[in-house]
Amino acid sequence: MAASMRLLVRRAIRLSHKNITLTAAGAAARSDCCRGPLVCRCFSDEAEDRSTHFGFETVPETEKAKRVYKVFENVAQKYDIMNDAMSLGIHRMWKDTLLHVMHPQPGAQLLDMAGGTGDISFRFLDYIRSQEERQKRRVARSSQTPSWRDISNNYSTQDEPRESRAVVCDINKEMLKVGKQKADSLGVSAGLSWVVGDAEELPFDDDQFDIYTIAFGIRNVTHIDQALQEALRVLKPGGRFMCLEFSKVNNPILSRIYDAYSFQMIPVIGEVIAGDWKSYQYLVESIRKFPNQEEFKGMIEDAGFYCVKYYNLTGGVVALHSGFKL
Amino acid sequence: MFKNVLSRLVTETVRSRRYAPNGPVIQRLIPASGPVRTFTDRKGEAQPQFDASLLDVLVCPLSKKPLRYDAETNELINEELGIAYPILDGIPNMIPQEARLIQKDSAETPTH
Repeated sequence: MAASMRLLVRRAIRLSHKNITLTAAGAAARSDCCRGPLVCRCFSDEAEDRSTHFGFETVPETEKAKRVYKVFENVAQKYDIMNDAMSLGIHRMWKDTLLHVMHPQPGAQLLDMAGGTGDISFRFLDYIRSQEERQKRRVARSSQTPSWRDISNNYSTQDEPRESRAVVCDINKEMLKVGKQKADSLGVSAGLSWVVGDAEELPFDDDQFDIYTIAFGIRNVTHIDQALQEALRVLKPGGRFMCLEFSKVNNPILSRIYDAYSFQMIPVIGEVIAGDWKSYQYLVESIRKFPNQEEFKGMIEDAGFYCVKYYNLTGGVVALHSGFKL
Repeated sequence: MFKNVLSRLVTETVRSRRYAPNGPVIQRLIPASGPVRTFTDRKGEAQPQFDASLLDVLVCPLSKKPLRYDAETNELINEELGIAYPILDGIPNMIPQEARLIQKDSAETPTH
C-alpha cells in the first residue's frame, strides 16, 4: 500500500511541478508510512529530505544508495556461493530462462546493468557463440554441393556481422572486480567490457544497445523510475528491456513456506557462509518492499515501454518483465 | 618477487647511510633504482589495459558528450565540464561523484 501511495505521489509530482501540490501530496503520503519522530519532519520537508525504504527501515534517500553500496561491498567475495546456497542453485535456471526468452542473435549489443559478477553476460556470450556455431553448421551442411553462386558468395567478405558485445555495468566496484576475476579465470574476454556506473545516470549515449537487462538489481535502485527512463534512453528503437526480480508469490501455501525460508533460513546461511547477517536480512526485506508484478509492469509502461509483459518463474518467487522501446 | 627488490633497496640504502658521505649514497642508489624501475614496469604490465572500444559507447553521464582517453593519467576526460573519470584495474569509474575536477585540485566534484 505504501508503495502504491508513493507511485501516486510520484505521478502527482510529474504532472504538476507546483511546490504546494508537492508538499501536500508528500505530506499525505509520508504521514501514512512514517511513524513517531519522522511525522513532525514531514510538513517542513523539501524534496531532498524525502525518505525511502531500506528493507523494513525508513531512511533518507541520500543514505539508501550508500547503505546498499556497503551491503554489496561486504557480500561481493561470497556473492556467487551465497546465491547457490540461498536459492539451492535455482538462480541458474532463472538466468538461463532469461537468456532463452531473450534469444539474442549474433551481433546483439547487451547492457547488463547491475551485472556485478557478470552471470548474465557470460551466459549471453555463450548463447551467441552456440548460435554462431549452429549457423555455421547449417551453412556447411547446405553447402555440401555448392553451386557456382554459393562459391562466388563465399568470396565476398562484405557481410561481416557486427561483433556482439556485452557491457557489464554496476555501481559497485567490488562486485565488478569479482566479476572481472571470474572472466579472467574462465578465459572470457572478447566482447566483454566492465564499467562502473549509476543506473539512474547511465554513462552511455542514446540508442546504443539492443538489449538492456537488470537481473536482481532494480530493487536496490533508489529511484526506479529514473532507472527505467535511462534504460529507455540507451536502448535502440526496437530494443528490449528485460528485468529479473523477486516478486510476489500468489499461492498462499507456497507464500508461507517462502516467507519462513526467507526470514528464518537466509540470514542464517548468510551468517554461516559470508559472516554477514545484516546484509542478507536487508536482502529479504528489500524483496518484500518491491512492488508486485502488476505494479512494476505499470511502472515500466509509465516509463514509455510497449508490449510489457511478465513471466512468473518458480510460482512467482521471481518475475521476468519484458518491454520494448518502439 | 617485489619483496626481494624492496629488501634489496632497503639494505642498499641502510648500507649507504652507514658510510655517511653523499656521493656513495647516490652512486649506490642509482643501481638500486634499476630494479625499482623494473618493479614499476612489471606493475604496469600487471595492470590491465583499458579497452579502447568502450570509448564508442561511453559518454559523460552528466553531459552525455563523448570523452577523451588520457593514457598518462589513465583517465577519461570531459573537456567541456573539466572533469576526469578515473580508471582502476581497467574498469572506468563513471560515477559523477568520483570524478576529479581538472582546473582546481579538489578531489571530488560537488554532488548535484
